[in-house]
Amino acid sequence: MKDVMGIIYTGEGDAQLRELTITRAIAALPVASRYRVIDFLVSSMVNGGIKNIGVIMQKNYHSLMDHLGSGKEWDLHGKIDGLHILPPFLTRENVGIYPGVLDALRSNTNFLIRSKQETVVLSNSSIIYNAKMDELLKFHQESGADLTLLYTKDESMKRNESGTYLAIDENQNVVDIEVDPTHPSHDNTYMQVLVMKRELMRELVDKAVAHGLHSMDRDVIQQLVRDGHATVKACEYKGLCWRIDSVQSFFKFNMDILDPKNSKGIFRDDMPIFTKVRDEMPAYYGDHCNVINSIVADGCQIEGTVENSVLFRGVKIAPNAHVKNCIIMQDGQVHEGAYIENCILDKQAIIKRNSRLIGPQAYPIVIAKDVVV
Amino acid sequence: MLRKKTCVAMLLAGGQGSRLGILTKNVAKPAVPFGGKYRIIDFPLSNCTNSGIDTVGVLTQYQPLELNAYIGSGAPWDLDISNGGVFVLPPYQKAKSGEWYRGTANAIYQNMAFIEQYNPDYVLILSGDHIYKMDYNAMLNFHIRHGADATIAVREVPWEEASRFGIMNTDSEDRIIEFEEKPKNPKSNKASMGVYIFTWDKLRHYLTEDEKDKKSSNDFGKNIIPNMLGDKQVLVAYSFNGYWKDVGTIESLWEANMDLLETPMPIDMHDKKWRIFARNPGMPPHYIAKGATVSDTLITEGCEVYGHVSHSVLFAGVVIEEGASVESSVIMPGSVIKRGAVVRRSIVAENAVIGAGAIVGEEEGNVAVVGQGITLPAGVSVAAGQQVDESFTF
Repeated sequence: MKDVMGIIYTGEGDAQLRELTITRAIAALPVASRYRVIDFLVSSMVNGGIKNIGVIMQKNYHSLMDHLGSGKEWDLHGKIDGLHILPPFLTRENVGIYPGVLDALRSNTNFLIRSKQETVVLSNSSIIYNAKMDELLKFHQESGADLTLLYTKDESMKRNESGTYLAIDENQNVVDIEVDPTHPSHDNTYMQVLVMKRELMRELVDKAVAHGLHSMDRDVIQQLVRDGHATVKACEYKGLCWRIDSVQSFFKFNMDILDPKNSKGIFRDDMPIFTKVRDEMPAYYGDHCNVINSIVADGCQIEGTVENSVLFRGVKIAPNAHVKNCIIMQDGQVHEGAYIENCILDKQAIIKRNSRLIGPQAYPIVIAKDVVV
Repeated sequence: MLRKKTCVAMLLAGGQGSRLGILTKNVAKPAVPFGGKYRIIDFPLSNCTNSGIDTVGVLTQYQPLELNAYIGSGAPWDLDISNGGVFVLPPYQKAKSGEWYRGTANAIYQNMAFIEQYNPDYVLILSGDHIYKMDYNAMLNFHIRHGADATIAVREVPWEEASRFGIMNTDSEDRIIEFEEKPKNPKSNKASMGVYIFTWDKLRHYLTEDEKDKKSSNDFGKNIIPNMLGDKQVLVAYSFNGYWKDVGTIESLWEANMDLLETPMPIDMHDKKWRIFARNPGMPPHYIAKGATVSDTLITEGCEVYGHVSHSVLFAGVVIEEGASVESSVIMPGSVIKRGAVVRRSIVAENAVIGAGAIVGEEEGNVAVVGQGITLPAGVSVAAGQQVDESFTF
């Protein structure tokens, strides 16, 4: 058994995700026909041998709790450790809404104290990846670093005015950190996944919060790098990853998965992504349906035309309906004669007969949950 | 101490199902894949869960490995509970004896101690041979209402086929007055479904008596039911009218799969109040590529379709390569149909590979079968009705 625990923080800002995150955290966003963002993070940890995982909840965490349940789907429902849901709570020093990850960790100090593992992996939840956690841990141990940050050279992960970027020397030491620069000057994007000793995390968090600080990147890691009080190393992640921080990036991830190169890169036989099952029957394709370049989940019933789209479980596409470049979440329906293009239908949304809805490719239309058009 | 249960189910899953030919060479019949993501046993197990019966003994004997692994802790059917749940019951050695299950009744007899743990009032006897959705609780209420000692589920079969079944002759009050196994001149068309509810005290008595009879074949249909009738016990017939399909032969297994493609589906698999649960393979959603054509077909997780598929059922992880064509066929988990191959009216078992340009089955005639793990070389032909296993020479 590995001497490592995991913590996933799900409280990132989500303003740019519009209607999609009104009722849920980014971590709970449905993606790729049958998953939620958090499935990738939890599965990565589980596949890397981590058996004690805490998920820090922030706002709108009902759907996330509902999804994770007892942790059974990830084999995290054992007696020793397993999945720990850590919702916000009110205490004298904690008002329930965390200004930053440091405050969230400070509030859950007890979870850190109670856990027995020596090392902790902390991950945010707005980047989708499928990382070999055991390799990251090996790097961390062998390099003797106090802190190891996971980073990628993937250009598409860079953003203006947001994100954390690293300068790294030839020994994988982090020599400079930029947080939310207008234009990132380093090519290494920090993936918001870090490893350190549990005791060190507790100490750093405690000190930082006591000084009124909130940001892990700016107030802790950057400080450590600048002062040189700790060895901060960086480990490169060479796999595929996507930042889910806007409707466009959410749309892009789903569309990217239509390319078998991408789907085979992120869904790997040796590192399966687990999710909650719904026991739907297989998808049914009708006599006159026409489906190309799409991924489809169980329980769908398709009679019409579907092109370059992502259909979640239980979606119904009526005869003569036409769906192009769309994401249709669980139990969505497109009725006869309707035409939709560049749309994202949230759960149970319905497009009635003969409606036409065409969004610009660069700015897909989002139809909120339960809305009937 | 286990708490008392009103009704305990015993599922007879020990048969080989030899009429399924090479499909049951390495697996017991209840573990045979069905309907794109299920195995036959998912139906009786899900029926139990949906009927509120949470204690199920599964009696295994023939090739149990895959079946045992599939049942596991019972979690997919919510049968991983502390007071009850699902239990695999293989034959076992006892102090003075130890033997295989000799017949259906003997299998239950050998597991009386399991049943007694729950001190049940009733015992439900099931088999793992059929595709159907049935509310066993409604049948139990019927049993109680009639003050019966045994209730046998029956369904009306076409008169011309009645002589192939065990037929129940009943009076106007559903009481069984006579039971005839495969009668030449049937007096009724009510065929036994092999689903029984017994009042446990009675069944215990008859099982014990039956064991003493050295000439008995220890079978419910041949011995227990006739003996109870002979003693004027109250046996009633519970009529079931829903979809019910025996999948004991290659042809009927193929037909039952094809039934799921009918509109409307003869068995409602979308009913959210009566889901059929299955162990989930946990694969990514399936992908239909550009240039693929799909019609009248069921497709599930992990499949990749680049070729043409019509009127077929694809199980998890099946790959249909470019230019391959699959028609009226059942392709079981993990199989690959290579470029340009043509598969018609066939069942391709798990993890088989149909080589490029190979031709399996014909448009008409009997169903062709390619066995588990077989790799069919490129370009070979398999005629209608042929079964391909390791001994097949190309």
